[in-house]
Amino acid sequence: MDKNFQEEQFTGIIKFTPPLYKQRYQFIKDLVEKYKPKKVADLGCADCTLLWMLKFCSCIEVLAGLDICASVMKEKMHRLSPLPVDYLQPPERSLTVTLHHGSVAHKDPCMLGFDLVTCIELIEHLEESELKKFPEVVFGFMAPSLVVISTPNSEFNPLLPGVTLFRHPDHKFEWNRVQFQSWALEIARHYGYSVEFTGVGHPPRGMENVGFCTQIGVFVRKYTQTSESAQSETPTEGVYKTVFRAVYPSLKDEKYLQNAVVSEVIFTAQIIKRRLLDRLMSEHEEYNDDTTERKSKFQPLMNCFSEDLGKLVVEKSMEPFVKGSVVYIPLTTIFSFPKVIQLCGTFEKLCKLIAGKVTLSSDGSAMMFNTEHE
Amino acid sequence: MTGRARARARGRPPGQETAIPSVGAASVQQTLPSQPPGRQQPQQPHVPPSASEEPGGRGRQRGPQSVPQDFKTIGLQISAGFQELSLADRGGRRRDFYDLGVNTRQAIEHVQESKTGSSGSMIKLTANYFRLTSRPQWALYQYHVGYSPEMEARRLRSALLFQHEELIGKTHAFDGSILFLPKKLGNKVTEVTSRTRNGEDVKITITLTNELPPTSPTCLQFYNIIFRRLLKMLNLQQIGRNYYNPSDPISIPNHRLMVWPGFTSSILQYEESIMLCTDVSHKVLRSETVLDFMYSLYYQVGEERFRDTCAKELIGLIVLTKYNNKTYRVDDMDWDANPQCTFRKADGSEISYVDYYKRQYNQEITDLNQPVLISQSKRKRGGMVPGPVVLIPELCFLTGLTEKMRNDFNMMKDLAIHTRLPPEQRQREIGRLSDYIQKDDSVQKELRDWGLSFDSNLLSLTGRVVQGERILQSGNVFDYNPQIADWSKETRGTPLISAKPLDNWLLIYTRRNYDIANILVQNLFKVTPSMGIRMNKATMIEVDDRTEAYLRGLQQSVTPDTNIVFCILSSSRKDKYDAIKKYLCTDCPVPSQCVIARTLSKPQTALAVVTKIALQMNCKMGGELWSVEIPLKQVMIVGIDCYHDTLSGKQSIAGFVSSLNQTMTRWFSRCAVQGRGQELVDGLKACLQTALREWFKWNKYLPSRIIVYRDGVGDGQLNTLVNYEVPQFLDCLKSVGKDYNPRLTVIVVKKRVSTRFFAQYGGTLRNPPPGTVVDVEVTRPEWYDFYIVSQAVRTGCVAPTHYNVIYDTSKLKPDHVQRLTYKLCHMYYNWSGVIRVPAPCQYAHKLAFLVGQSIHREPNLVLSDRLYYL
Repeated sequence: MDKNFQEEQFTGIIKFTPPLYKQRYQFIKDLVEKYKPKKVADLGCADCTLLWMLKFCSCIEVLAGLDICASVMKEKMHRLSPLPVDYLQPPERSLTVTLHHGSVAHKDPCMLGFDLVTCIELIEHLEESELKKFPEVVFGFMAPSLVVISTPNSEFNPLLPGVTLFRHPDHKFEWNRVQFQSWALEIARHYGYSVEFTGVGHPPRGMENVGFCTQIGVFVRKYTQTSESAQSETPTEGVYKTVFRAVYPSLKDEKYLQNAVVSEVIFTAQIIKRRLLDRLMSEHEEYNDDTTERKSKFQPLMNCFSEDLGKLVVEKSMEPFVKGSVVYIPLTTIFSFPKVIQLCGTFEKLCKLIAGKVTLSSDGSAMMFNTEHE
Repeated sequence: MTGRARARARGRPPGQETAIPSVGAASVQQTLPSQPPGRQQPQQPHVPPSASEEPGGRGRQRGPQSVPQDFKTIGLQISAGFQELSLADRGGRRRDFYDLGVNTRQAIEHVQESKTGSSGSMIKLTANYFRLTSRPQWALYQYHVGYSPEMEARRLRSALLFQHEELIGKTHAFDGSILFLPKKLGNKVTEVTSRTRNGEDVKITITLTNELPPTSPTCLQFYNIIFRRLLKMLNLQQIGRNYYNPSDPISIPNHRLMVWPGFTSSILQYEESIMLCTDVSHKVLRSETVLDFMYSLYYQVGEERFRDTCAKELIGLIVLTKYNNKTYRVDDMDWDANPQCTFRKADGSEISYVDYYKRQYNQEITDLNQPVLISQSKRKRGGMVPGPVVLIPELCFLTGLTEKMRNDFNMMKDLAIHTRLPPEQRQREIGRLSDYIQKDDSVQKELRDWGLSFDSNLLSLTGRVVQGERILQSGNVFDYNPQIADWSKETRGTPLISAKPLDNWLLIYTRRNYDIANILVQNLFKVTPSMGIRMNKATMIEVDDRTEAYLRGLQQSVTPDTNIVFCILSSSRKDKYDAIKKYLCTDCPVPSQCVIARTLSKPQTALAVVTKIALQMNCKMGGELWSVEIPLKQVMIVGIDCYHDTLSGKQSIAGFVSSLNQTMTRWFSRCAVQGRGQELVDGLKACLQTALREWFKWNKYLPSRIIVYRDGVGDGQLNTLVNYEVPQFLDCLKSVGKDYNPRLTVIVVKKRVSTRFFAQYGGTLRNPPPGTVVDVEVTRPEWYDFYIVSQAVRTGCVAPTHYNVIYDTSKLKPDHVQRLTYKLCHMYYNWSGVIRVPAPCQYAHKLAFLVGQSIHREPNLVLSDRLYYL
């Protein structure tokens, strides 16, 4: 990730490329790629940009955001909604995105069970009383296996133009490295975490001693939690208000799985049927004064098959057949298609999912198509 | 061709192919196989669509292109930024889709008092409208917000302003400079101070600039913005201009289609109140990517024709990307590029598409050799010149239907089951939106905060059903069943008004269709005598099934005495049809009839099909079938429609048709082919001039009234029509002679409207009967407009046609204009029933379509007094 941190020659004006906030988000994204957490919460999620970036990470199944200000969350929260494509081709993984309105100084059971909790540029906005409760809420109560906390490094401030006291008027404090690290180490020790320090935003050449512009602490829980001891005093009532919730379609949901399977089955069966009929027809119709035209008309129906698929279908026991005006396609034929196998897993599951959705022969072993109207 | 005769035999009236509710954004009329589109190398920078880009892609916006876009539309003060702020939608285009601010009624003296008709019997109707009400003395307060020192970023401006929420209140809409509030601040000018991150103090001045009454145009736009916000709150997905509900899709696996139910909505000032017009809309999505589609095309057509076919099938389609909720129109394909190509990001670094999509959206591109799609974004954003947007086929899903799919009868049938809702069901679906709004707490809160509310019941209103016309045919008078609006049974076996003999005609067929040809001749001998058509045996010509063979046959056998050429085609191959039509419409002008062999081959329908074909042939040769009583004398009726060929060089074709006689049974036609950068109206002027000359030849005097029915006008183009086209017509009339001063009426005809009417019969809702006229409540106060339901439909909901009289010196009573319009809907000879639009519009449509699809230049004028384009 080094190449992300290109600093300009120090000319008195510090400019980060990519911008510092993006570097912070990228840092989290890289961390997610490395640890593959399933449940991620972003405390102080503001306009949900980080959550939006994280929703594309395929390992994550639960995303939650928390902010003290509901209106800033609401402004752009709709980009956390599923996209049309998520419905068109539901992915395997499930994903639920929830936004909560509340304070990091309060405990709410909805924040339990997370793998990763991120607090990007959050702590410096906390009042002293809130900051005091913060470690207990995040490390004691939520107790995720991974916590990331970032905050400004005040040693860097002299290099930033126009910064007199703090970088933002709402900041209650800005710490230097020693202050942050001792705070962090104390927490780590108390709650059984190990912590490593890093940061983003390299100082200009010759000024390396000031450290990163943003300092980051990565906390890893030392022991896997066995009992729920830490949550013995679990508050039963939620204090956060849910402002947004989106459940993404997924194949784990029977409804979407069934849709996907039925679609796939009918589509493949149609192709097989067409191919069978065409073959019969061309055998039937000996004379043919317009070969080119026939070809262009019938070939489309043979597409979508890779070579090996075509062979599979030809196997004797699975061969589809025509009786009268009805085409029979054995379910075993259909189950030989990789996509169908992949979706259903077992033959029994296939039968279960398509039951009632397609017309089957009396013994239930084949799909039936009436070709009278064609 | 393409089974039109078959369709008619089945009973599908013309003009109803489009009756399937707006499925998908795929633009129609795309399958022109002519030369592949010029593959210009798109200029740098190649940009993948990022969150900051707005695509311009929308199909279907049709109308006079390249007319100066000088929209002096009033009341559009809501800035582009505003619409984005509120919806992050694709608003911002300054185009006024609703033609707000075009006030044409004020110039038409005789409808100042009233524009309503009087004839017919009353009928109780319900329409898909909900009244929007605001509390008494409601007003929207518009403020200007200034910053000192000046702040650039909109986000910062908002952040600074909303540090004063206790002053402004929680309910507000702000675009960076204009602030809308539902309440009035204490002072006209308020000054506050905020502090930036850097500790800088900024003085903010909030100045009241406007107190907007509920009916002001700005307010109307504002309502629409708020309403879209509400739809978003209801978790509906925006695609294009409409909102859809993805949680309950209808899937049609046979065709890999998925249909999402949704709504169209617009809030406008109507005759007496502000109303929300909402209709059910269906979005057709396809569960395959462009790349999947290309693979299957490849297997179908093979290497050689692959690129051309791709271009033909894909260009003009609307695609939806995998990674964001945006739609793009495919304008071109770049076969020299692939996903490994790089582009320059905003920060100046180079990155390949593969890496970009992987990093940004975690999207894997597996096929590294695929070409890329190019979409020309039409909108300017933030002063940046819009560049081409590069899209990766693998990451794009197809939406809408291709022309090929539209022609697939079985597929359209499958689709129609889901999209053509009968009145009861449609009303229920529309009611669901109302339910959502009434029941959702946050939506209700938002409405309450703004002081607005919607009626929960659909609008009830009264329409009139004018009496059915009597069909006159060779001294016979027929009444038809008004419910089905069709008189094919009644007039069967009656001689035509004017029957043209088939003395000398050619029948061209392939060897395989020899039997079919013979049966055809026999059947024609059976059906023509009762029509009064004299007929000789055809000159039979057998040809090979190749285009050149057909053409050679024509060249050798067509003589100046040939009445008509009949071609039996063995398939619906378009190139053959095009070649034949082109030859016989331009080089060797003779009427022609092309029929696919299959259409004639079914014994059980053969006679019905042949009857229709005989009628059609008679019209093509200049015969007349029936008429209705038209009391207006010395009037020339004109019909205009446009065809937009987006594929080959973007030319547009205007079909122009004008009546030649009092009974409106003969029509003169011309068309104007408009190249790039030309104005359509120039061509129309020339058409009108020749039409008048021709009228004079037929009648020995000039018409004292001219009534123009103008179809093919897109949303938002009314202004152009009023300001450019009408004056040109007037100019043209002036140029005929000093003392020639005919009365001119110009009526804009619009088929694609979301208005629907339901007739109340006892407890149930049905389609209103043909002849239903509505000129109250749902019309616009600033227009002289009305709706007519002229056709009957068998399935789904009937769509009324909207007529807007934009210019009128005729002094004709509104009732007479309505009646005349309805009468003209009876005069389309390819359908013995009432159609959706006046016959001249449908004729103009047919002509423009034939020229645009097959001929590509103006047909020979020798044919111009016949309906050869049917």
